[in-house]
Amino acid sequence: MRILSVGKCLLFASAMVLALSVVPGSASAQGTVRIGVTLRMLIENGFKYGQMTADELNEVNKSGGINGQKIEVILLDDECKPDKGVANANRFIHQNKVHLIIGSTCSSVTLPLVDIVTKEEVPEIVPHSTNSSITQKGSAWVFRTSVSERYYAAVHAKYLAENAGKKVAYLFTNDGAAISFVRDYKKYMQETYNVEPAYEAQMQETDLDFRAHLLKIKSLNPDVLAIGGQIDAIARIAQQSYEIGIPAKVRRVSASAASNAPVPELAGDAVKGLIFAAAFSCTDEREIAKKFVKMVQEKYKVRCPDHDFSQAYETAQIVKLALSKAKLKLTDASLAEDRKAIRDALASIQNYQGLASGPINFCADPTPQCRDGNRTGILVEYTKGGKDYEMRVLARVGFDPDFGLPKK
Amino acid sequence: MKDTSTPTGGTAQQGVPAGSRFSRRHLPWLAGFVALLLLPWATPNAYHHYILNIILINVILAVGLNIVKGFAGQVTVGHIALAAVGAYASAVFAAKFGLPFWVALPAATLFTGMIGALVGIPSFRLEGAYLALATLGLAESVRVFIGVTDYIGAAIGFSDIPPPYFFGRSVVDHVAYYYIVMPLALVGIYFSFCILRSDIGRSFKALREDPLAAAACGVNVRKYKLLAFTISALYAGCAGSLQAHMAPGFLHPNSYTITEMVTLLLMVVLGGLGHIWGGVVGAVIVTIIYDLTRDYYQYQMAIFGTVIVLTVLYMPRGIGGLIDNYFATRRFVAIRKAKANAA
Repeated sequence: MRILSVGKCLLFASAMVLALSVVPGSASAQGTVRIGVTLRMLIENGFKYGQMTADELNEVNKSGGINGQKIEVILLDDECKPDKGVANANRFIHQNKVHLIIGSTCSSVTLPLVDIVTKEEVPEIVPHSTNSSITQKGSAWVFRTSVSERYYAAVHAKYLAENAGKKVAYLFTNDGAAISFVRDYKKYMQETYNVEPAYEAQMQETDLDFRAHLLKIKSLNPDVLAIGGQIDAIARIAQQSYEIGIPAKVRRVSASAASNAPVPELAGDAVKGLIFAAAFSCTDEREIAKKFVKMVQEKYKVRCPDHDFSQAYETAQIVKLALSKAKLKLTDASLAEDRKAIRDALASIQNYQGLASGPINFCADPTPQCRDGNRTGILVEYTKGGKDYEMRVLARVGFDPDFGLPKK
Repeated sequence: MKDTSTPTGGTAQQGVPAGSRFSRRHLPWLAGFVALLLLPWATPNAYHHYILNIILINVILAVGLNIVKGFAGQVTVGHIALAAVGAYASAVFAAKFGLPFWVALPAATLFTGMIGALVGIPSFRLEGAYLALATLGLAESVRVFIGVTDYIGAAIGFSDIPPPYFFGRSVVDHVAYYYIVMPLALVGIYFSFCILRSDIGRSFKALREDPLAAAACGVNVRKYKLLAFTISALYAGCAGSLQAHMAPGFLHPNSYTITEMVTLLLMVVLGGLGHIWGGVVGAVIVTIIYDLTRDYYQYQMAIFGTVIVLTVLYMPRGIGGLIDNYFATRRFVAIRKAKANAA
């Protein structure tokens, strides 16, 4: 059979690629601030985090925009995959010509984004990722509203060492957040109290049965069971720890993923007594927090918004504040200048009081001291599990900007 | 088996001057190369240059998968793991051992080829769904191994992989990187063409149609199965290495999941399993569709799933099969016309 000639096929391939080139890019309307948002959308509440960020930013358009300038939000999912996040960022920067990027949820996506925005000189504000390295890369273009892991670790580690004990067993899955949670907790215990882990085991994200390790942990009689993982793993480990008979006096502590609503819903009563460090609790009694919780309940039908909601909201408010401060020309020719102006406006935000338990401060130096704006973590304990779960705040801890950074 | 065919698909004719034969063979490739050289200038912005690179890397991956799956008929779903091996091997060679990209790329490709040979061993005794399960197990094992190995970044990711350097200048720009990826992709396609038109290609086809009959005809089944897996792995290793060194030089095990494998399979199935251009056409179309549906992320996987089902149901030989049919019919009509005219 005669087959297609090489030339024709290459021409076909070229035609397909050219088809890509004629796909209209998002119109870069002049006089509009374009903001690209890349988050992990297809998870529990993930879409709502993104939608809320977009809604909060788009809201200003109803009242004529900020300084008369409208906002256009482009919302994309990165599936918590770095290659997807990188593709989104490239599209935002080169095709949509955005002035600012908001993202991402997962640290493994945010880390490569930092390199891209630094090279392309586009300001980025990180709403959720907690990995300490993000701001330690020294990028002048990156800001973070979520609490860095270097603070989180100390929030629960200090509390537990003083109130429960120093004999800690670690059981965690192989996701980035869980690994960082355990690494930072261990580091804090080693450096502060010179205590080594009583037990340590890592399992897969998809594992369902943790009983073998939990039985070994039970025999060691630890003071604390540190559970690292995402929603399912935390709920399962908490549940199975009671099934195999680890007593309630052994305090259960988990990474900030424990704040996500499915954890208490899946784990039921096993979640009672589980503590975790977070940035926000829906039981916060402050007026601003009550107003926010009510808004999320009514608009997004979530009974108890977790700290990913609060941080997404906070990020949108900070962006609006920065845009109101920045002097923008918003022409094609002024894109680089406008990006720089937004970066400088973000860097000028000081003592911002919002949903975070403490003020958010940024400054111009490309250091973690300047760019980890939120330095207040809270310690939360579940007091009831199931659909109508409840929690209480045990402590609020503010930190110095230098806290947890490698000593020079 | 003596091969008389040419990489352009035509059959060498007696009496045609050698120079003319050479031109017929290579001129279309040269024309294609020139067209591809100019392509970045026809695309409007750096995002499209980035997508071009992704397309070409996917072409290398899909062409490699087509060799083992389409040509040799081995049901493998572990190809993405071999890409991961190539990517991480290249990253380690460059970032940990300090080797330049130009050494890391071939070293990682060869290393992946060796791993591919190991992967091929179960195919001696397993076939069909059982081989698919074995290779799926391998794919997951590789991902899990990466996820727990601190030396290569574990679940946090492997960052700061150096870009290629060319005469002392780093190649971080997408257009510049295109001129590294494009020739490799073209060489890969040409190489696969040569394989299919050679003794090896015929043995692969015989293996695909009926291993027992092939063995009865003197085809060393084990040797050719192993060869198919090894050659396919060389492609995956090369593509993986190119992924690793492309800006921003970051790798993560989440980029090598079963979803990526299904997407890769879709490229080959849609393009045409066993069709020489199947991998190329499929990779181009799927990558572009994937990009165009980025805004509709809620429905993206549903769209892809539907395309796979519809392709298998109504276009089992893929787009390549349709193109073949068209040309075969046209040729048949021409012959009938010629006969009718002669009569």
